[in-house]
Formats: sequence, structure tokens, C-alpha cells
Amino acid sequence: MIYYSIVPLEIVYAEESSENESQVQEVEIEGVKMVIRMLSSTEAQVERLLSPNPQDYLNPRFYPGSRIRLVPSWR
Amino acid sequence: MNEEKKTGEAPAADKPSGVVDTLQTLGQVNVPAGEQDTYCLSIIGQVEGHLVLPSQNKTTKYEHVIPQIVAAEQNPRIKGMIIILNTVGGDVEAGLAIAEMIASMSKPTVSLVLGGGHSIGVPIAVSANVSFIAETATMTIHPVRMTGLVIGVPQTFEYMEKMQDRVIQFVARHSNISEEKFRELMFRTGELARDIGTNLIGPDAVKYGLIDRVGGISDAISELKRLDQIRGQEGHMQ
Repeated sequence: MIYYSIVPLEIVYAEESSENESQVQEVEIEGVKMVIRMLSSTEAQVERLLSPNPQDYLNPRFYPGSRIRLVPSWR
Repeated sequence: MNEEKKTGEAPAADKPSGVVDTLQTLGQVNVPAGEQDTYCLSIIGQVEGHLVLPSQNKTTKYEHVIPQIVAAEQNPRIKGMIIILNTVGGDVEAGLAIAEMIASMSKPTVSLVLGGGHSIGVPIAVSANVSFIAETATMTIHPVRMTGLVIGVPQTFEYMEKMQDRVIQFVARHSNISEEKFRELMFRTGELARDIGTNLIGPDAVKYGLIDRVGGISDAISELKRLDQIRGQEGHMQ
């Protein structure tokens, strides 16, 4: 890889400090792509939105830190 | 996007209960979703390409960005794209891929550099039709580095030079800076503490012709609207 950045490589590839990486995942909820952290099997917390639609960021349900209940659904 | 549209056009019967739900649970009413015709592409943190970076890095992944650009180009509702940059650089191939995608779009594109648009962020910033930089934002221009095994032979140098030229030529083609000037900024000594290169702050980037104008979000949005109007008029003439 050719790397072109002001961040030194030793910082980019520093040993990963921790842990709960697997609880963070990328999902799409109601058409909005976001990164969530699983708190339990039924509850998640919004880490950040990845949506390119600025209006999605005004939706109070998807503010970073807000909790989303994950309900199983049958379709 | 489709989902967003659906909620915006939900049948009247569903509306009151939805509002009451949000009011009860959050004490807030939903912000009405307006018709969104601007696509907002934010390039933040590292530009991530062929290698997944460790999780402490905040990254913009090209597999996210490239389909977004394709979608924005194809979606008839999208009138223009605004690219917000606050990036430290990253993978050359991924950065150039994004820059080439933006440069080859038919819809109006405007970029805005906030905070920093360093290294590979530079070609991405200049790839838009019109580029803006915030007064306090900086852009660092420095030589390209290579990871992994580096063999100490002359060919390595030539290869690096070639890779560097890709960046330099792209920037020269898409901005008002000349290849020679950009090269000079890239290899200048005595400006950066730990590296060779140059740090351009807001108005400096404009002075060298790298960026078109100093401005903020309102300038960027109004420029996008203006470009869209011009495009509309041209469309009618044909």
C-alpha cells in the first residue's frame, strides 16, 4: 500500500488497545446507514451515522448516543 | 433514502400516533423531512483503501464512498453534491479513486475543506467543480510514503516518483496550481517540524491556486445552487 497521510504509520498501526470492537457494527435502520454498539441482544446505541443525507442527522431517534430497541420482526 | 421518503409521505392516519410516540418517548417532535436535493459526502479521518486499518483510526472507506457517488450521479432527485473534508490523508489508490469519481461526475460538485485536508485529501478537495477552504483550515502537502518491504534499489525511487506524479498531475489538472509549483511546495524544507513539505492555511491555499475560494458552508451551498442553475439553463438550450 502506498500511504499518503500526515499521521505517522506507527500511530496508524499502533497496537489495538482493547476489547469490545466486535460489539460495534455497521447496520442500516430505516434506510439510514449507521454504526451501532450493541448493549445487549435487544438494545443498541448509536455510535455515528454514515448517511449522506444531511436530514438524517436531524432525526432525534438517531442522535449519537441514543438507544435503539431491536425488536425481532416477521415478514 | 427510500425509507426516508416513505416516512415523509406516510398516510395521514399514521401521522398523529407517530408524533405522539416521539413526543412521549423523547419529548421531541420529529423534524419534518424536506425534499433533499443536496448529497453530502463527508471525508473524515483516514481514507481507507485496500487494507482495513486498526479500529482506533477513524476512517472513510472507499467501499462506502464510491457507491454513494454512483448513486448520487444516477438519482434524478439529487441536484448536486457537497464534499466536506476533514481528513489526515490515507491510501493513495483509494483517495485518487474517490477524486477521479468526483471529477468525472456530470452533476455540480462543491468541496469544502474544514479543519484539515491533508495529503491525499488535497486531490479530493480539488476534484470538485469549485473548492472552498475555511479560513482556519489547513492543507499539508508532503512527499508520499510507502509501507511494507522497501528494497533499496534505484527502481524503488523511480516507482515512488511515478506514484507521486499521479497525485501531482491530478492536482495540477484540477486546480490552478502548476505542476512545478506543487512539486516545490511538496519538497520544501524548513516549514514542517518533522517532515519536508508545506502547510497551507486557508488563504494561502487560495493564493497558490490550489483552492478556488475561502469560504464556509453558506458559500458552498449557494455556489452549488448557482452551478445547478447554470446546468439547468444549458439543459434547456440543448
